[in-house]
Amino acid sequence: MSADIDLIAVEDFLYQEASYLDNPDLEKWLALYSPDGTYWMPASENQHDPVNEISHFYDDRVMMEIRKRNFVHPRASSKDSAVRCSHLIGNIRHAGRSDNGDLIITSNFQVVMFYREEQRVFAGTYQHHLIERNNSFLIRSKRVNLINPEAAHKSIIIYL
Amino acid sequence: MPLSNAEIARLVEDRRVHKRVYIDPEVFELEMERIWGQAWIYIGHESQVPKAGDYFTTNINHKVPVVMVRDKHGAVHVLHNRCGHKGAKLVEQRSGNARGAFRCAYHGWTFQHDGQVLKIPNETGYDNTGFDLKDSCNNMQKVAQSASYRGFVFATLSSDAPDLETWMGGAKDCFDNLCDRSPEGEVEVAGGVLRYEHDCNWKYIIENLNDTMHPMVVHQSVVQAAQDYIDTLPEEAVKQRSEAEIILPFGGSYENMEHMGITGFKYGHHYDGGKTSIHADYSVDPEYHKRMVAAYGEERTKEIYSFNTHNTLYYPSLTIKTAVQNIRVVRPVAVDKFVVETWSFRLKGAPDTMLQRTLLYSRLINSVGSMVGPDDLECYRRVQDGLHSDASEWVEMYRQFGRDEDLGDRVRGGGTSDLDMRTEYAAWRDYMLQEAFS
Ligand code: FES
Ligand SMILES: [Fe+2]
Repeated sequence: MSADIDLIAVEDFLYQEASYLDNPDLEKWLALYSPDGTYWMPASENQHDPVNEISHFYDDRVMMEIRKRNFVHPRASSKDSAVRCSHLIGNIRHAGRSDNGDLIITSNFQVVMFYREEQRVFAGTYQHHLIERNNSFLIRSKRVNLINPEAAHKSIIIYL
Repeated sequence: MPLSNAEIARLVEDRRVHKRVYIDPEVFELEMERIWGQAWIYIGHESQVPKAGDYFTTNINHKVPVVMVRDKHGAVHVLHNRCGHKGAKLVEQRSGNARGAFRCAYHGWTFQHDGQVLKIPNETGYDNTGFDLKDSCNNMQKVAQSASYRGFVFATLSSDAPDLETWMGGAKDCFDNLCDRSPEGEVEVAGGVLRYEHDCNWKYIIENLNDTMHPMVVHQSVVQAAQDYIDTLPEEAVKQRSEAEIILPFGGSYENMEHMGITGFKYGHHYDGGKTSIHADYSVDPEYHKRMVAAYGEERTKEIYSFNTHNTLYYPSLTIKTAVQNIRVVRPVAVDKFVVETWSFRLKGAPDTMLQRTLLYSRLINSVGSMVGPDDLECYRRVQDGLHSDASEWVEMYRQFGRDEDLGDRVRGGGTSDLDMRTEYAAWRDYMLQEAFS
C-alpha cells in the first residue's frame, strides 16, 4: 500500500492500546481517543448503522467517561471480580483512507479473557480509523467485529 | 422418582419459597414440563415473518424446537420443528425464508408452510406396507395452540390452556398501550436482537423486573458514575443526551418506587407503574407528538402517554416495556442457565428518533456490554451460589404481605411490596400441581 505509512508505528500503537485493556487502565486508554472518538461492537454481522441497529457497545466520549468511572466504582458488583485479558493482534493492514483523511487500519484479534473464575475466548477483526498526530495517532473510531456477534454472550465488562 | 405433588406443594408457601425451586435440577425439569409445557409462551412477532415462507425458530421450553412460519395465505403457524419422517429437526437457521416448502436435509421429504407433507421421494417403497401416506401424523405437527395478539405470537403445548386473551387477563392492556403508542396502532420488530447468556436460574430475572428494592442498590454505581461525569458538563450539553434520562431514574428513591405500585393478575402476570414509572419523565419528541395528536386527538394521546408502566410480565416467558418499546424474552436452558433476548420495536408512523431511543435503551440497559444488566446478573449469580448453603431452606417474600388490595380480576399493592413475587409463586404452584387450568 502507500509507502508513506509507517506500519511499524501503527502496530506499536495498536499494541499500546491493547495493553491498556489487558490490565484495564481506562484513563490511559481513553487518552488515545480523539474527543469525537467512538468505540463500536455490532451485535450482528455486516451491521452498518450503530444508531438504527442494535449493538453490544456503541460509546462516544461521554459514555467512555461514564464507563471509566463505573469501572472503578466500589459498588459496581460485576466489577468486584478482576478482569484480565490477553490481546493478540495480527494481520495488520493499511486499508486506505476515510473521506476526512483518517488512516483505515484493519487487523485480526484474539482476546483471552479471565473473569469470574472462567477463561473465555473472543476473536474477530478490528477496524481502526486513526488520526495522524505528531509521531503518533489518535483513534477516531474503533469497530470490533466479533466472529460471533449474534451469539448469546455473557457479560462483557471491559472493552475488547 | 419424580417429585410428588405433596412435595411440590411444600416448596411454596404464601410468604416463603423453598430454595430447591432455584437450584434443584429435578424441579427445573418439572417446571419445563408443567409451567413451560402448559402456559402460553412467547414465540415471536408477526413482523419477523412478513412474507410467505418466512420463518423464525426457537425452543418453546429448554428443548422442544418450534418454528413460526407464514403460509401463502398470510396465516402464521407455530409448528414443531421436527420432520414427519424420522424426526430430524427441519429448520436449522434462526430465521430465513423457506421458498415453496420446507425440505428435510436427511431424506428429502418436503412440507408445506402449514406443516402438511408435500412430497416423499421414491414413494412406492411404502406400497402395501401399511404405511398411510395420508395420515396427518406424517406432517410437521402444529403445537397444541397458537395465537397472536396485536402481532405478538404465543404458543402453548397444552390443549387445556384458555384462549390467549383470557389467559392474559388485565395484563393485556399493556400490549394495547404499547401498540397504541404508534400513530398507526401497530409496532414492528426493528434493529435486530440482543442475546445475553445468564448462568443462573431463569426465575431470578422475572422476579427482578418489578423488584423495586434493588435498583438504588444494584445500579447505584452507574447512576453515580453518570452523575459525576454529567456534573462536569454544561447543562445544555446534558439536555441533548437521552442517556441521562434513561440512566438516572435507576437511582430513584424508595418513595418513588413505592408510588409506582404493582398490579398482579391470575397466571402470574404483573406490572409495576401505571400512573407513573421510572420512564414517565422521558422527553416527548415534538414531531412524534404531532403525529400522535393527528392520529388520536389531544385527549386520547394524553391518555395513552399517561398509562406509564415499567415492566409487564406475561409469566413465565415475556416481559415488555410499553413506554420504551422493547421486550425481553426468557429462554431457559438448564437449572442454572438461560438466555435473554432483547427485541426492540418501531412504532409504525413515528419518526425514526423513537426507534433510536428504544435501541439506545436496549443497548444501555440490556446488552452484555451494558453497565446495568451485568450488575443484575452478578446479583442473581450470587443468589444462585448462596442458596447452596444450608443456613436456611427458605427465601422470603413478606414485604407488605396482607396489605394487598383485591380488586377481583387483579390485586394491587405497593411498588416496593413482594406482590410481584407472590403473584408468580401462586401461579408456579398452580402450574406445578397441574391445577392452573382446572
Ligand atoms: S428424517 Fe426428514 S426426511 Fe428422513
Ligand atoms: Fe436491575
